[in-house]
Amino acid sequence: MITFSIDGREVQSPENLMLVDAAKYGDVEIPVFCYEPKLGNPVGACRMCLVEIEGIPKLQTGCSTPVKDGMVVHTQNTRVHEAQEAVVEFLLINHPLDCPVCDKGGECPLQDISFGWGGGRSRFIEPKRHFQKPLELSPLIAIDRERCILCYRCVRYSQEVAEDYQLVLQERGAASYVATFDGHPYVAPFSGNIIELCPVGALTSRPYRFRARPWDIEGSGSVCTMCPGQCNVTFTVRDDRVLRVLQRDNAEVDDGWLCDRGRFAYQAIHVDERVTSPMVRGQDGQLVPVSWDRALSEAAAGLTAAGSAVGALAGSGTTNEEGFLVQRIVREALGSRDLDSQRAPVSRDALLAISDPALQATVPDLEFAHAVLVLDTEPVDDMAILDLRIRKGVRRNHVKLAIASARPSSLDANAAASVRFAPGAGPAFAAELVSAAKGEPSSDDARSIVALLREAGEDVVILASERVGVALAALADALGLRDRAGAGLLVVPSSANGRGLREVGFLPDAGPGLSPVAEPGRHAGQIAEAAATGDITALWLLGIDPLRDLPYRLRWEQALSRAATVIAHTNFLTEGIRDHATVVFPAEAYAEKDGTLTHPDGRLQRVRPAIGHSGAGRYGWQVLTDLGTRVGLHVPRVLTSGIALAQLAQAVPFYAGITQDEIGGRGIRWQERPAASAFPAPAPASVNVSPAPRVGPSAPASGLRLGTFRSIWASPEVEHSPALAFLRPRQKIEMAPSDADRLGLGDGQRVLVSNNGTQVSATVALRQAIPAGSVFLQDGLAEDSANVLTGSIVEVRRA
Amino acid sequence: MNKLLFKDIDEPGLNTIDVYRRRGGYEQLRRALSMPREAVLNELLASGLRGRGGAGFAMGKKISFLPKGALDIYLCCNADESEPGTFKDRELMQKNPHMLIEGIIIAAYAAGANKSFIYIRGEYVLQADILDAAVLEAERAGFLGENILGSDHRLSLVVHRGAGAYICGEETALLDSLEGKRGNPRLKPPFPANQGLYQGPTLINNVETLATVPAIMGMGGDAYAKLGTETSTGTKLVSVSGHVKRPGNYEIELGVSSREIIYGLAGGPPEGRSVKLWFPGGSSSPVLTGDDLDLAYDFDTMAKAGSMLGSGAIIVVDDQTSVVDVAYKTAYFYRHESCGKCTPCREGTNWTVKMLERMKAGEATPMDLDIIASVCDNIIGHCLCVLGDAMAMPVGSMVAKFRDEFEEYIEARRQESYLGTADPEPELALIQGAVA
Amino acid sequence: MAEVRRFEHGSRVPGWDASVDLRKDPAGVPDPATTPVPAELRAEIEAQMAKYPDFRSAALPALAAVQRHHGWCSPEGIEQAACVMRLTPGYLTAVATFYDMFDTVPTGRNRVYVCTNISCSLRGADELCHRIEQLTADDADIQVKHFECLGACDIAPMVSVNGIYVGPVELDEVDELIDDVRNDRDPLPRKQLRLRPSADTLPMGDGQ
Ligand SMILES: Cc1cc2nc3c(=O)[nH]c(=O)nc-3n(C[C@H](O)[C@H](O)[C@H](O)COP(=O)(O)O)c2cc1C
Ligand code: SF4
Ligand code: FES
Repeated sequence: MITFSIDGREVQSPENLMLVDAAKYGDVEIPVFCYEPKLGNPVGACRMCLVEIEGIPKLQTGCSTPVKDGMVVHTQNTRVHEAQEAVVEFLLINHPLDCPVCDKGGECPLQDISFGWGGGRSRFIEPKRHFQKPLELSPLIAIDRERCILCYRCVRYSQEVAEDYQLVLQERGAASYVATFDGHPYVAPFSGNIIELCPVGALTSRPYRFRARPWDIEGSGSVCTMCPGQCNVTFTVRDDRVLRVLQRDNAEVDDGWLCDRGRFAYQAIHVDERVTSPMVRGQDGQLVPVSWDRALSEAAAGLTAAGSAVGALAGSGTTNEEGFLVQRIVREALGSRDLDSQRAPVSRDALLAISDPALQATVPDLEFAHAVLVLDTEPVDDMAILDLRIRKGVRRNHVKLAIASARPSSLDANAAASVRFAPGAGPAFAAELVSAAKGEPSSDDARSIVALLREAGEDVVILASERVGVALAALADALGLRDRAGAGLLVVPSSANGRGLREVGFLPDAGPGLSPVAEPGRHAGQIAEAAATGDITALWLLGIDPLRDLPYRLRWEQALSRAATVIAHTNFLTEGIRDHATVVFPAEAYAEKDGTLTHPDGRLQRVRPAIGHSGAGRYGWQVLTDLGTRVGLHVPRVLTSGIALAQLAQAVPFYAGITQDEIGGRGIRWQERPAASAFPAPAPASVNVSPAPRVGPSAPASGLRLGTFRSIWASPEVEHSPALAFLRPRQKIEMAPSDADRLGLGDGQRVLVSNNGTQVSATVALRQAIPAGSVFLQDGLAEDSANVLTGSIVEVRRA
Repeated sequence: MNKLLFKDIDEPGLNTIDVYRRRGGYEQLRRALSMPREAVLNELLASGLRGRGGAGFAMGKKISFLPKGALDIYLCCNADESEPGTFKDRELMQKNPHMLIEGIIIAAYAAGANKSFIYIRGEYVLQADILDAAVLEAERAGFLGENILGSDHRLSLVVHRGAGAYICGEETALLDSLEGKRGNPRLKPPFPANQGLYQGPTLINNVETLATVPAIMGMGGDAYAKLGTETSTGTKLVSVSGHVKRPGNYEIELGVSSREIIYGLAGGPPEGRSVKLWFPGGSSSPVLTGDDLDLAYDFDTMAKAGSMLGSGAIIVVDDQTSVVDVAYKTAYFYRHESCGKCTPCREGTNWTVKMLERMKAGEATPMDLDIIASVCDNIIGHCLCVLGDAMAMPVGSMVAKFRDEFEEYIEARRQESYLGTADPEPELALIQGAVA
Repeated sequence: MAEVRRFEHGSRVPGWDASVDLRKDPAGVPDPATTPVPAELRAEIEAQMAKYPDFRSAALPALAAVQRHHGWCSPEGIEQAACVMRLTPGYLTAVATFYDMFDTVPTGRNRVYVCTNISCSLRGADELCHRIEQLTADDADIQVKHFECLGACDIAPMVSVNGIYVGPVELDEVDELIDDVRNDRDPLPRKQLRLRPSADTLPMGDGQ
């Protein structure tokens, strides 16, 4: 701490804070426009923050002057006032002052600063700058260039945070304006953040425009449940409707940014297609709305009839409480062991090994580590917000980034090294890395990655897909990451609350707290088989449509058609549910939910209801307790979500004693609580990985290797949000130009991709970076989804 | 007089290495390389050479600010020469490119730089081609590259062409432009000497400054310091233009009287006219009037007179010209060239032009003069770089020194506009938004 | 674009979509697989990139190469340069529009820059520019731009014709000058700056 003087008072603050921040220690506000530390170093462009520092003849910008001991600063003398007034006057010269019709009115920094620091009069009688207004910058963002004060925030964001370099300033001087290349829309996974950054009404949200005034709305803090990133959000609520989603800066989770799905998919809460009432399939085969009682009793009847022949699956936004209740009902009341929350099976042993608290890294570690290895995952698709965090680490802290993946990554350009393996060879490559790290014979690629990580320093964070499995723990150990603060594993699960669901026991081979089970049940793939052959007769689906979300679509079609009872908790009637569900319960939208989630780094976070339930909706834990009671589960009544949490905290030893209050608004990592010591020790033998020969990305003898990925935009919420609908992905096949040449195909051509008698149609997208011999298709689509295909080698021909 | 830069400037073929060497070219480099770096730097310090690009900062001192060590140090030669009225670097580069290159190599040696760039304005096509050819010749002759003349000094030199933006003459904007960005000035500190090109320590000097180095090495720093005045040493190229009979570049010894330059060398204004005002150092310098003609032409005298020597470009305006037109041209230029990064410059230059346009259209009142003066005041000292000040100072000085004339003009134009004879109303700048 | 459904609870702003054109994809770094680049242009840009410690420094030379190759910095040309440099076309557009010498709208093959800054206008540049503009108004082959100080006030009023400086240009020489431009002749050879001796070496009193 140092002492400096501001406006005649002695104030203590940490040294080298920028003056505008240091001033806050003395309750002095220095106005700013362009200053935004999240965007990187100050640029000192707007000149709003001019202050006088004794001993320096010129006024200085408070946003870029670090405070020093003994500095004497004035923000309230005539000279400073005049300068600040002058800047406000200059800024308003070209500003249209159309506040009455501006969406930003009432929450606008320009209004506030004009009021607080402006002269309150105008001497400018010349014609103002005119632009057509408002224009679309994209389907999501409107731009009103007349209002722009050229503070550079949005373009700095595009260039220095999102690094998409799409939004730029064109022309020069007073003629400068914010624009994109040749009229292309600014569409990028994180574009919406510029709306919140803009200090005036120049960039506004198209879905929010003219829907409310700041005095009509309330803010309600919660967590986005659309991907494992679990960013903290504030819902803007008016008349019990969510009208907007804003970031709720949590440096431990999201760093104050949101992806566009998280920002705009709230629209899907209030569309007609939402399921808002329980339904059962009538005689005519149609789903018809019914009362809760009827639906609950049909579901209970179906489940009871099936008894132990029930298979349960959970996905996307299922909370810990819901998952916990369902696994109890399935195990305790129905006597079934068949439940799963993972897309591909990872054994309990492996989960224990990779969840070991001694090996866990946190999200901020990505930013401050010496090196980050991204292994078999594409952050922007799988856990979107981390994409920005990784870029930030590389850009600001010179983190060395290594990427090992089958499909080219959008982070390749930032990586010190990128290697490709064949689709599906992630675990094999991880095993090679382990060998390399142990100094055993290994491939060149693996050795170069390990060398890079080691050279960078001791703190290495491995961000990897859950499907890589146990080799991750072995790799972390081989790299010496055990018990090292700031290093370790960050494992991306296959659904938003994947970590929570497995920790509450929604697994075939582990109970609550990853406790061992006497006899393991079936994992998802086996459930499909059993249902297809009639061994399982009832399927219970929480936030998951197997036709969309799981591999082997055709097998699942058989399973769903054959099952006598298919109970679905869902927001939308996606194809599997529409065609096969016998009972449908309205799932809650995330803004309606009450419960907890567990972030991939172990942070328990609260999802809190911002609005009441749409239609006949009810709390998930409430529905499940009702259903449980009806099928004979003997539990103390769950009356609030807090009680549900208390019950689960009793069952999961390493969550012991956790309460909603303790979780609070920012969440808490269970690894940092004393109860963490109750985490079961992994079986030592499980960590041994025997390297399997890896398939390189080279071309197979015939056909092409198929890789699949699920785009950030592949989700029912995107489809059903009017504003996002344009992003809904269509199937395309990404291929190397050399393969396309060989097959006589060109960019944009329609093709059929087939294997084992299955086929999907797709459009060719040529990409230079795709390794020859491999092609990539998307999963999670409504039509032509890659999960129709069943093998790893495909034929491609002209449609 | 002692000609250092313009000695035999029109000698045929001087731009080729053969002729240059025949006249003793690159001998100073050889001599410098045989001396320790510090000794070369000491010569430059002793010479008192002040930067010829505008700010007049002592060159040797600037070199001594560079951090020592293993870092890559860059040298950038500022050949952007866009200050209105300035054309001296052009003639130097065109006619004697090797003198500049030799100066760069010596300065780089003194500074410990091993990568150098000449940032030349894109409009100077002929001069850039000549420099390219000269650099090639110098490379072939072993003056550039590894182990120059057997020493451990190595230097690469790239001629980088700009593309038309005055602001790129400002040293930090030059760096951004050289890095392939829009030429926006940077916040200082950090100063280029610490964090310049590619974040490395960087020495930036004007063409003329660097071209003077061989001469200093030739005669010795002390001898050079004897030329000129005590604080403005040496000779200087002065570009004289506007209402004079013989516009052109003249090499003078600093401290001669301004009248001697304007009348003696450049021939003064055409017969029967007198000097109404003059810019002593490019269009960025506050104007002086006919009363100031006997001031000595050196850094300090100009500063004391409330103006500056700047780039050494004298623009003479005679008594037949309206000061309003000059103010308008000046303001218009800076509005056009403002990069737009900081508010006071972007908006202030724009506003000033609009007011002057209104004046010309006969729609102004004397109150607008107060507003112009206040806008100029509000710009000065508040901007990110000094481009804004560079408009506000001369325009402000014109309004201050010629207020009566402005008022008369305003009144006359108002009369005309009543009678319908004024200029048509200025076109509104309607910038259509690009299709987003 | 897919049909945008109305919210059940609110209307969309009328006319809002009138200017939407979302047929274009977002402009990321162009993929070499789908962006053909003329070999010559590629070679030129790559050579420039090799000259600098950071390849991005080649942005200006690359744009200049695009302009030479395509006649202007066309979107197509910018995409090609962006593809070679692995930058977004947006980045290069931001740069191109900053500098006066890059044309981001189609323009005449001959570039005639008339200096109308202080020193030149004191010597009649405004009339000169006006005259040249009049004379070439309907010649799509000639771009006339009034330019800020071109650094040749000693030959005021002056004109740069495709980079060749000529001056002082008298009003009655304009016809000849434009004629030279139209016919690809050396413009006003007797007035070219390149041939002009230094004022400093001329005997006193020998000016115009
Ligand atoms: C707006 C502006 C334009 C400038 N233009 C030039 C220029 O064209 N040439 C130049 O040498 N210096 C120019 N300068 C000065 C440079 O910033 C810098 O001071 C100079 O290149 C340093 O070299 P010197 O010390 O040798 O003079 C300009 C400064 C400003 C603020
Ligand atoms: S649009 Fe907004 S954020 Fe972007 S430069 Fe203008 S005022 Fe700043
Ligand atoms: S906030 Fe300091 S200059 Fe903009």
